[in-house]
Amino acid sequence: MSEVTTPSEEVRGWDALARAAANRGDSSESLDEIRQLLSFELAGAPYAVPVERVREIVRMRPVTPVPRMPEEVRGVISLRGEMIELIDLRRRLSLGSIEPDRRTRIIVIKADDDEVVGLLVDAVREVLRVSDEAIQPATGSDTGAVSELCKFRDEFVSMIELDRVLSLDV
Amino acid sequence: MATRDSRSRSGRKADQEFVSEAEEILERMREDYADLDDQRAAGGDVDPDLINRMFRSAHSLKALAGMFGLESIQDLAHHLEDILDGLRLGRVPMDSPCVGLIDEAIHTFANLLESVGNEEALAAFNEPVEDLASRIAASAKAAAESGDELQSLDIDEALLRALTEYEEHRLRENIRRGRHIMLVGSTFEIMSFDEGLSELSDAIRAIGEVLSTLPAPGETPESQIRFSLLVASDLDLMELTAALDFPDADVQSVREGAATADVAPAPSKVEPAPQTPASSEQESLRSISETVRVDIRKLDELMNLVGELVIQRASIGEIAARLISQHESAQVGVELSKIHKSLDRKLKGIQSAVLEVRMVPMRQVFDKVSRVVRALRRDLQKDVRLEVSGADTELDKLIVEELVDPLMHIVRNAIDHGIEAVDERVAAGKDAQGCIEINAFQRGNHVVIAVRDDGKGIDRSALFAKAESLGLVSADTELSDREILNLVFSPGLSTQSEVSETSGRGVGMDVVRENVMALGGAVEVESISGRGTTISMTLPITLAIIQSLIVVVGEHRFAIPINSVHETLLIDTSEIQRSEGREILNLRGDALLLRSLSDEFELGVLRDSEKQFAVIVGVGEQRIGLLVDRLDGQQDTVIKPIQGPVKNVRGFAGATELGDQDAVLVVDISSLVDDTLSRKESA
Repeated sequence: MSEVTTPSEEVRGWDALARAAANRGDSSESLDEIRQLLSFELAGAPYAVPVERVREIVRMRPVTPVPRMPEEVRGVISLRGEMIELIDLRRRLSLGSIEPDRRTRIIVIKADDDEVVGLLVDAVREVLRVSDEAIQPATGSDTGAVSELCKFRDEFVSMIELDRVLSLDV
Repeated sequence: MATRDSRSRSGRKADQEFVSEAEEILERMREDYADLDDQRAAGGDVDPDLINRMFRSAHSLKALAGMFGLESIQDLAHHLEDILDGLRLGRVPMDSPCVGLIDEAIHTFANLLESVGNEEALAAFNEPVEDLASRIAASAKAAAESGDELQSLDIDEALLRALTEYEEHRLRENIRRGRHIMLVGSTFEIMSFDEGLSELSDAIRAIGEVLSTLPAPGETPESQIRFSLLVASDLDLMELTAALDFPDADVQSVREGAATADVAPAPSKVEPAPQTPASSEQESLRSISETVRVDIRKLDELMNLVGELVIQRASIGEIAARLISQHESAQVGVELSKIHKSLDRKLKGIQSAVLEVRMVPMRQVFDKVSRVVRALRRDLQKDVRLEVSGADTELDKLIVEELVDPLMHIVRNAIDHGIEAVDERVAAGKDAQGCIEINAFQRGNHVVIAVRDDGKGIDRSALFAKAESLGLVSADTELSDREILNLVFSPGLSTQSEVSETSGRGVGMDVVRENVMALGGAVEVESISGRGTTISMTLPITLAIIQSLIVVVGEHRFAIPINSVHETLLIDTSEIQRSEGREILNLRGDALLLRSLSDEFELGVLRDSEKQFAVIVGVGEQRIGLLVDRLDGQQDTVIKPIQGPVKNVRGFAGATELGDQDAVLVVDISSLVDDTLSRKESA
């Protein structure tokens, strides 16, 4: 029981994605809890984070490396004057790092303390609306970064455990 | 920039905020009450402004307590407000016993404030507060009911009813002072009545007080209007009529005053009639909004906006320069450049105005300290006096807030461990009473706050022994006197309270240093055995917008706050000497420790030129030289905290935006200087 937005690389704004998801007919849904997820790509595989934790999606921009930070942190970016740490999600999940290209995006995630943090991903895909039925626990995640899988279109999407991924403090 | 998380509990912060605000108000009330008492004792007029001010204070206190949900304080303030409102409006006479209750209420407030944050202690006050409140209410009621002298006036009741409460009060007050009350009537041409009326009012004010100005009923031609002025004066009917050189005015007596022979008219002391608003309700609403309380975060936002404007201004300057350099656009460039200059001036104006708003005098903090000293004097049974100077020195509000704890700590240590017992002092030939001096003064872009005691000073050998037993130093370590003294800031020393008994210092000094360093400041200690100890904190005046020097190492750019930069030198690498693996520069005869930023931050940038820039930095007395490849000018910078999971990366105070989307790290000089000086050998 999962639905999908029109796959489109050209959807620019986050607003458009969200609106597209919101406009889908609610009447046909069952009474199950519906979750909205933002899916994205890392090393060719699909991952997702809950939509309500996403503040915005921006393109790659200059990154200032910060000495003494763990290697998962690429550095600091300036987002309209805010200084935000950029976490390389590939490195965080031990998937190896790549050079950013034109598909590379930064997902700006709301952390629990009013702050935000950037997650560097290979590409952003789409917003999924899934019911609880489509979700099952993930087993054997080395990093603890993926706790659940979500099945759609015969594919398993790994759902990122944000609080785990964002705990980097030493 | 952040202070230690464990220390910032929002509840305590809120309580502290309340207490500091409330104490300020209470302090003002104490002063005003003292003046009120003096004026009553002298038997003279009590300045109505004084009462108004106290009323406003009580009102502010009530509102503040309400905001923080402190009911007992709110309730008491409400009753106090009642008395003062009664006094203000003349319902309660100045000689009423309930005036004495004001003093009692102020004392009770002080006790309540000390218990804020402690529910039990606050609850213990419930009964005495209720008791006081009911006495106030009873007293105010009794006073208000005692006789109505207005009945004795020979005046139209409709006119009396038209008086505002304040005007009525002034009327009663003047009756009580035994003045003559008169009604001055005059008819004016409608076209020009305001001129005529103000001439008449001015003439009367020279010899009395205009209590109220009212349009008067009566037969007048259509083009005219008649006014009645209710007047109080030391002159009687005849004298006033004679003195008032106003042919059209008629004067009638409303009430005969007391004998006036020896009372000379004193126009300057006479209360001018207030600008009467439509009702007293409005008046009291208006008078309270004398100041505006602003959330410091809103000021931060404003500051950030100003900061961004300042940065954008720079790019306008660059565009202007580019236009000027090209022949065909030179004229436009010159015009743009003019606008840029004017914009520059105005921005600087806004910037300093916003900064100004954030600045508060140290006085608030010093007042708190003096209360702590009084309490400690009692608890520790030490005879100590506190001398404060430089209380008007101003600092950024945020810094002042963060400064309270460290300062308290230092003062507490000084009393507890610095100042000796009386017999010990006398035996040493010292004044029996110990003295703690706090001195605040501005030095360049910093404010220095020095706490000096005339106690026994720091016992170096005990301090060294303790540090040795904790494994901080080994017995054969050779330390300079300064290095030994700096051991008081070692974390290990602070955790064990018995250390303080032997070393004389050390409890929590590491926390003090950490807090001050988080603000971009430094702490230094000087001590003369047997004579006393001075602890000085050097702090930046503001954290908001600062000038930074941009330095370049390889491809990396860093910002160094200019108030930490003492000078910059272009040096030849052959001038650099080595000692134990550390690099040293001979700076006019003094050995200056050098530290390469590339090494410090492990940037892996090799020195590719014989020339390096040494940026001499330091806070307080300590200096080091930072080696960088190039200098890239000065910039106005707004330091922003870095958001994200990795907190408090040592060596950086935050980041700032330079140009479009370009984040530049701001170096935290305090921690860098510290690390460099404490590093025994280079990595």
